[in-house]
Amino acid sequence: MHHGMYSPLRARVCPTLTRRKKVALAVVIWAAILLPTVHAQPLTLSAPKAVNTTDNSCYVDGLSEQMNCGSISVPEDHDQPEGKHIQVYYVVMPAIKSSGKSEALLAIAGGPGQSAIENAKGFDQMLTKVRQTHDVILIDQRGTGQSNPLQCVGDGFASPLAINESDFDAREESQKCLDELDADVTQYDSLSALRDFEAVRQHLGYQKLHLYGVSYGTRMAQLYMRHYPEHIATVTLDGVVPMQQSVLAIGDAIARAFDLLIQDCSNNTLCHNQFPQLAAELDKMDSELAQAPKISMIADPRTGEATQLTMTRSKFNGALRMALYSPSVRALIPHAIHQASQGNFQPITGLYAMSMDGAGIAMGMHASVVCAEDWQRLTPQLRANISQHYFGREMLKTFEKSCAVWNMPTVDSSFSQAIASDIPTLILSGKLDPATPPSWGEMAMEKLTNAKHFVAPYATHGVAYQSCGNNLIAELVEKGAVADIDGECLNKDISRNFYLNASTVEAIPSDTDTKQAETALNQ
Amino acid sequence: MSNKIITMVRKELIDAARDKRSVMAGLYYAVGAPLLMCGMFFMLIGQLTSPEDLNIKINNPQGAPDLIKYLSSKGITQGDADKNKDILLVISDDYASNMAKGISADVTLIADASNEKLQKSIRRLEKSLQQYSSEMGSLRLIARGIDPRVMQPIKLNVEDQATPDSKAGMILGLATMTMIYAVFISGMNLAIDTSAGERERNSLALLLSHPVSTGQIVISKIITVTLFGMIGLLLTLIVSKFAYSFVPWQELGFSVSVNSSFIGMMMLVGLPVAIMAACLQLFVSFMAKSFKEAQSYLTIVLMLPMMLAMAASYDIAPDTLQWLPVSGQLQALIEFIKGRELPGMQLAISSLITLAISALLAFGMQKSLKSEKIVFGL
Repeated sequence: MHHGMYSPLRARVCPTLTRRKKVALAVVIWAAILLPTVHAQPLTLSAPKAVNTTDNSCYVDGLSEQMNCGSISVPEDHDQPEGKHIQVYYVVMPAIKSSGKSEALLAIAGGPGQSAIENAKGFDQMLTKVRQTHDVILIDQRGTGQSNPLQCVGDGFASPLAINESDFDAREESQKCLDELDADVTQYDSLSALRDFEAVRQHLGYQKLHLYGVSYGTRMAQLYMRHYPEHIATVTLDGVVPMQQSVLAIGDAIARAFDLLIQDCSNNTLCHNQFPQLAAELDKMDSELAQAPKISMIADPRTGEATQLTMTRSKFNGALRMALYSPSVRALIPHAIHQASQGNFQPITGLYAMSMDGAGIAMGMHASVVCAEDWQRLTPQLRANISQHYFGREMLKTFEKSCAVWNMPTVDSSFSQAIASDIPTLILSGKLDPATPPSWGEMAMEKLTNAKHFVAPYATHGVAYQSCGNNLIAELVEKGAVADIDGECLNKDISRNFYLNASTVEAIPSDTDTKQAETALNQ
Repeated sequence: MSNKIITMVRKELIDAARDKRSVMAGLYYAVGAPLLMCGMFFMLIGQLTSPEDLNIKINNPQGAPDLIKYLSSKGITQGDADKNKDILLVISDDYASNMAKGISADVTLIADASNEKLQKSIRRLEKSLQQYSSEMGSLRLIARGIDPRVMQPIKLNVEDQATPDSKAGMILGLATMTMIYAVFISGMNLAIDTSAGERERNSLALLLSHPVSTGQIVISKIITVTLFGMIGLLLTLIVSKFAYSFVPWQELGFSVSVNSSFIGMMMLVGLPVAIMAACLQLFVSFMAKSFKEAQSYLTIVLMLPMMLAMAASYDIAPDTLQWLPVSGQLQALIEFIKGRELPGMQLAISSLITLAISALLAFGMQKSLKSEKIVFGL
């Protein structure tokens, strides 16, 4: 399980799942002390200089088309241009019919810690219409993908299914990860990365950018609006994390998404008849696992080999939480909860296996961003609020330990101020979002004078990928204004029926044969 | 000698310009053909890019509400009876019970696959059903504690060498053909008028009575007709440059741009073809007894370059065609459009062959003008 946002591009169920196999176990074991080292962050960012550039045609994962790839060399510490340099990689997905080289769309991935380039296929699908006339740029933000990644890949665990997360000293694991990284992790915050982005824009020679940010990527987009407004034509914030908000406060959003799920199921006759005690079963499982994990032998979801499963509270809730990100996987949650309450952990294990690799997140970079920008802004009162929910508590515990090791300088207090801008901005929120609820979209609007906010009633996290939101982005890019954009198409019902047993989403014919067959299949 | 030819070319041009209708008839093609092609492409793109909504008939939709909802989210719905395509989707009566047991549930797609108009819709429906099926399958595996990725032992990576320009090759092959054809059409009326027509008006004999050689007469006529052909080509290219920029090619996933380097290339490659077209048309016209007869012959003769051109754009017998006139030049032009290396050798040889044929025809004409039979149309 990991904490924080992430872009939903990878969290879809289809036969062409292409996640990386790295098991980001360090996620589970981040640990303990807050050190009060505070550095001042420069408010005005000087124009960055890039050197040693390379440009080539290339192919990216999942797309057969030729792209233009390259990298620029940037100082790891922008304030020490003569110091150590790192390569920042980018891919330009060329426009089919270019409307000139002056404008392009920069698509920014989530996480923090996801690689934009590894998600090229998803971005390409989502931005097909934009790509008809505009180049689309993907940049592996420093610390992610190929750009000096700060991976913390746990080793020494025979099976992630067998471990009990609470046995690990997160502080020690963070330290071990830090020792292995060849990087000054304090330089991997959002503002340093923003200067890389700007250097890439200059290197590629675009006058103006249209921005699309999803999840954590919306923070990068907002920072771009704040620091280089003259180079921005339009902005789309999809699943927005407002500057005023610490990502560590997503406990409320997760709880809200669980409530909506239970509500959806009880409003649905089929689901309600099949799982009448859903809320009670969820509570029962949670409190039982809070007492002690349940240990059993299962077949490994991937290898099929017999392996020990230690079902902990963290695995159980984490698997369900990750399932909330995708509308189709979400349909399996009531069945998974019900089966678990009957002692069958297979559906939960299946869901857990889906998120075992940490959704391709570079955990070191994740920690750099969260520790610098989210951890340190927590007031005692916020802490108390966050601690009310299980996830909030877990996150606080984890980052308390890891941020102590990571020792990030705190961002300036002005970092958390609302973005004031009149750049045309489209804000998309999913009503069912388990990470960035629609209220965060409202919060982001505070000082945006030229913005529109749409809430997609059937979408979760990452509206553009799940609905007609992609068309709205194309419209915004084409018109350069939000005034005429109509979000009506977002109301189209794209929801799915809930799984009623391990096989069907349709009504189960009420005869005993079927019941027996179902029981047999679930054993 | 060259002075005489220039004088005669000027005379021919003045002659041609007098008959404005015939000049216009030649140029109508130059302006009209690209516009007609654009119209055709607009319709083609409308057909190829599937519209948002696909209306089909569905039997027993209440048997699989989630599937119906899924299809609807993909824009496939049961619409009003008169708007429906001739595609029937039948959901079996035991769909729900088979689903519940975890075995395959039958869905039948009934349509006439030979109906060209339905192809696109059938494929779209099949693809959506396939996607739904594999999504259901993946989730069934998860529900059994199995990672669905075990179903994907091989991850195939495809690296396509095509560029947006080269994908346009097929379409542009067709467009290039109509452009090359302009040199034939634009000069045709003039060629008939200046040969068979002139003879019909009895001015050919008068011309021959002047102190100029038959060779000079033939050359000046060829130059004039070639000039008209090239003007027609240039006009076609200019109209194409503007008209094609309005066609939404990007919806098909590629771009088509008639840029100045293409226009220059086209004019250069088109010149030998225009000379050959002029010689061929003049030759045939001289052979005909009257203006009308010449028109009938030329219509048939014009089929020849058309067929060569079509063969080139549809890749029929490419090995032989690359050396022949028209098809050789067309193939070279298509390679040029696709951004590949220009086949210089092939282009040079086919252009030389083109010019050789022209010379032969010109020589034939020069000989024939010495025959009374031809001059007086006996």
